[in-house]
Amino acid sequence: MDRMVEVREFFKGLLAIRHDRQPFTDSTSFFLSGRLSSVDAVELVVFLEEKYGIDFAEVGFDQSQIDSVEAIASLLSTVKAIG
Amino acid sequence: MSATLTTVPAELSPKGIARLTNFRLIPRVDTYPAVVAFAQTAIGKLVLLVLFGLGLAYASTDWLILTLCLALITFLPAQRRILVTISALLFAVIVPWKFFKQPFYSVALMVLVLTLAALLFWCATLWPRSWYGKRPVFVFLSSFSLLIVIASYIPQGTRAHQLVWDFTSSLSVYIWFICYSLLDRSSPSRDPFSLQLGSYRPFWGSTNTPFAKGAAYLRRIEAHNPEQLAVTQLKGVKLLAWSIVLSLFAQAFNYCAYGYLHVPQFYQALYLSANRTPLPWYHCWASILAGFFGSIVTFSAFGHRIIACCRMAGFNALRNTYRPLSSRTIAEFFNRYYFYFKELLVDVFFYPFFLRYFKKHHKLRLVGAIFAAACFGNAFYHFVRDLGFIQTFGLREALISYQVYLFYCFLLAAAISVSQLRHRKPAPSGFIRGQLWPSFLVLLFFCLLDVFGSTERNYPLSEYFRFIGHLFNLSL
Repeated sequence: MDRMVEVREFFKGLLAIRHDRQPFTDSTSFFLSGRLSSVDAVELVVFLEEKYGIDFAEVGFDQSQIDSVEAIASLLSTVKAIG
Repeated sequence: MSATLTTVPAELSPKGIARLTNFRLIPRVDTYPAVVAFAQTAIGKLVLLVLFGLGLAYASTDWLILTLCLALITFLPAQRRILVTISALLFAVIVPWKFFKQPFYSVALMVLVLTLAALLFWCATLWPRSWYGKRPVFVFLSSFSLLIVIASYIPQGTRAHQLVWDFTSSLSVYIWFICYSLLDRSSPSRDPFSLQLGSYRPFWGSTNTPFAKGAAYLRRIEAHNPEQLAVTQLKGVKLLAWSIVLSLFAQAFNYCAYGYLHVPQFYQALYLSANRTPLPWYHCWASILAGFFGSIVTFSAFGHRIIACCRMAGFNALRNTYRPLSSRTIAEFFNRYYFYFKELLVDVFFYPFFLRYFKKHHKLRLVGAIFAAACFGNAFYHFVRDLGFIQTFGLREALISYQVYLFYCFLLAAAISVSQLRHRKPAPSGFIRGQLWPSFLVLLFFCLLDVFGSTERNYPLSEYFRFIGHLFNLSL
């Protein structure tokens, strides 16, 4: 499955737990807007570590890096370029 | 029969229910296109500022200068960030000038602290690969702890003792703001120190916890065009109005509970319990319930006022307190009650642990990070906040007398860990099973936990357990 589709699906799952069925786009802010909390951010971090092998201790962590599908796409391409 | 079934009263029809659930005491003016358009005009901005100033006059003693700062920032949006810095310095030096016992000495200490902050920030950005550059927050907080230890061993009554403690106290006010600057060091779009300074005890207000976090957060939530500014400012006016409503409600509640019903204050109930003349169990319950509910309302109003000013300055910050009574889990309540404190603990303590340790052991990793934040970080924050205890009684005594709050932090971290380890699944359907019952349990837990949440250090831990016993009609 395409990476971004997987990320979108993961966000959809996090939102479903909160009964949030509002649509979102790739640029929708999740954490800075308060739509998802830091508890959800932890789950997303684990997902990105396990699925794509990102080591945030190495690349540095900032919540804005995972705030939207677009931000994650940019993070993944940066990590790939470095790797 | 069928006739009665079809004749649904207007207020219970789907339309009526929808209207009821969508009812807002303060209308959502930020979603009205005509109002947003008006708020972008010069007259509209003036009207908003006047309304906001009038609201502030009720809520703050520094309303006039605060409103003037907001007016400058509103009409010069291109200079917003530097004006925020100037306003922060104004509120750090000029506004409290008359309250300083030794104004020049206090300001000199502040300059020293801010110079140190600048040096720490520049060193972290200049040498990111150095030992310090890799872990600046850890090095800074460790050094600060060492400074406290050294200060507590300097003989009392000497000039050195006074000087070191004065400096340590001044630094303690800024440590978490400095931490946020250090966390921003590796961001490609980081602000220079002159702009970081605007987030150090910002002019819109804060506690030792940075409200609206640091400069990095301000960059992301800043309004970038007139429409965004208008919407953000309208949200600010709304939030200030809500803050005033809550303040009035808190006053009425306190009058009813303590003036009319004569519910004892928690400290009175605890005092009587410690003196072996406890109040009846129902009075003890009344004291903690009234105290808990009253503190939620008062604290919400306080946080809303600060965030309202922040929004009026053009930063669309999230509320500090957001519907805590509707929390369905312990972690959710912790997130909703004091958002910026929770964010501080997460940014400074949780993530550094979570991203580095026990990566192969999911549960241990999560629990370790929660304890690093909610237990250690929380205890450390309050211990260094109340430096007066250490200065007066010495480090050892201060630590011993801190046992009650340490216990509170341990319980809180344990409860959040359990809450987080349980499999997350959608809430059961139905209002009672899905919302009311979980919320009731969460609030009951925090209400009881709040008994140990005192940082006053007047009684040993055993007295708090005795009080808990009285709540259940037990004599311990």
